[in-house]
Amino acid sequence: MMEEIKKAILEFAETSKKSKFYFKDLEKAVQAKIPEAKMRDIKKAATELVNEEKLIYFSTGSTTMYGLKGRGITEDQ
Amino acid sequence: MDFKPKRPQKELKYEELRIYTDEELHNYTEEELKDFKIKHDIPDLEELEKGPWPSFVADAKREALHRKKLPKERMMIDQDVVDDLLGQLQLSFDDGETHWKHGGIVGVFGYGGGVIGRYSDVPEKYPSVAHFHTIRVNQPASKFYKTDFLRALCDLWEFRGSGMFNMHGSTGDIILLGTTTEQVEPLFYDLTHELDQDLGGSGSNLRTPSCCIGKARCEFACIDTQDLCYELTTHYQDELHRPAFPYKFKIKIDGCPNGCVASIARSDMSLIGTWRDDIRIDQEAVQAYIGGEIQPNGGAHSGRDWGKFDIQKEVIDLCPTGCMAMEDGKLVINNQECNRCMHCINVMPRALRPGTDTGVSILFGAKAPILEGAQLAVLTVPFMKAEAPYDNIKELLEKVWDWWIEEGKNRERLGELIQRKGLPRFLEVIGVPAAPQMVKMPRTNPYIFWKEEDVPGGWKRDIKDYRLRHKR
Repeated sequence: MMEEIKKAILEFAETSKKSKFYFKDLEKAVQAKIPEAKMRDIKKAATELVNEEKLIYFSTGSTTMYGLKGRGITEDQ
Repeated sequence: MDFKPKRPQKELKYEELRIYTDEELHNYTEEELKDFKIKHDIPDLEELEKGPWPSFVADAKREALHRKKLPKERMMIDQDVVDDLLGQLQLSFDDGETHWKHGGIVGVFGYGGGVIGRYSDVPEKYPSVAHFHTIRVNQPASKFYKTDFLRALCDLWEFRGSGMFNMHGSTGDIILLGTTTEQVEPLFYDLTHELDQDLGGSGSNLRTPSCCIGKARCEFACIDTQDLCYELTTHYQDELHRPAFPYKFKIKIDGCPNGCVASIARSDMSLIGTWRDDIRIDQEAVQAYIGGEIQPNGGAHSGRDWGKFDIQKEVIDLCPTGCMAMEDGKLVINNQECNRCMHCINVMPRALRPGTDTGVSILFGAKAPILEGAQLAVLTVPFMKAEAPYDNIKELLEKVWDWWIEEGKNRERLGELIQRKGLPRFLEVIGVPAAPQMVKMPRTNPYIFWKEEDVPGGWKRDIKDYRLRHKR
């Protein structure tokens, strides 16, 4: 299950219109493919992907978004 | 109650952690400061130094001079970073717009918060602040620090950053102002490994929970605010560091209704210590206040002669619910009517004390945004016991989070969601019955949407029949 969720996250991160997206958008995209996926599992999977250096956090200070490493803004600018 | 750390605590010794000697730190005289000019002209900022109040410009200039004289080989970012900061601020005054760019992917590995990316949009003019990232340091409950820790942190921040701090930001953390991307990971390593210190929350995370001084120093504290704050901080580490909320979420804890951390106005979940039995009265002490033997307000207003203490005028007549009176020379309180304004207890702390059956009132939905104006929290749970391990509070909080994560729009605070969906829906979600105290003006606007199942016998309503008599 966890592997399936991770795969769905990466698919969304590669093909989403915007290169940075909110967690909620991620959650909706995963649940469209795997309806039984729970928010907490999706969060765990996203955290694992961050630790595997496949996803990145993008923070404005007040809000945090996720992105695919290497897509869109990749350097710290 | 004794503090029981959840993991072994490291004893910090500044002498082992210091980066600069005393001579290196005390490196300029007041005379030198008088003649000191930073490398940019900052006429508008210097205006700010002229008023009666301490000015951040004066502080920043001290730091600029101080950094110029620190040993260069032990400074990992530019020595003139403060000069460039002030220079860029002057430019913003000239242009009437900011020159900061905000946000980015800068952070420490595995954490979604704690570091806020900041970049100059005029780096060629002010190269030392081209990167000027902000770092949040998780404050301990009630902000008790050993000087060893603070001195070591100051040294570390001169070494790896600008040397400038906010003590503290509104969330409660110490804010380290300004460093480069290259220094963020090493700084985090030093903070965690040497100073045994975590980062605080930022972004769409649980923000660092914050509490008042509590039972450590305050006799009014109805709950152990520090223990609760520490418990929530450690229990919700994942929520603090790995963002999955629609927006920020703040928890603040006041030990009594005096509300010294103003949780009611600036936290999504506000926990306020209270009691559900009676205010304790010491009638002898009441007489001592009346007789002038004890100063009212603990002597706080003794700088001027206000005349003899008048219990009728200064306490009883000021009670917002009129629930106090003197009867046969004794002070009596109709405790059912007390709304915890704290005035009588504040004026006569030796005669009146909060009750002993204590817990918390829980309020939700406050926020204090700069542009739209503040929104106060809604009293949702009038009373709940607050005893370790606080499972009842956690259970309630998690229900609220689940609903907010499910229903909240991106960048929507809990208070906005409650307004959008309505308080009755929120109460349904958390399983709390509605009470008159939740209505803003229950006597003039008792407007409630009843559901059929709430009313004995229900009702029948034929919309076609209604429309025959009422045109759209």
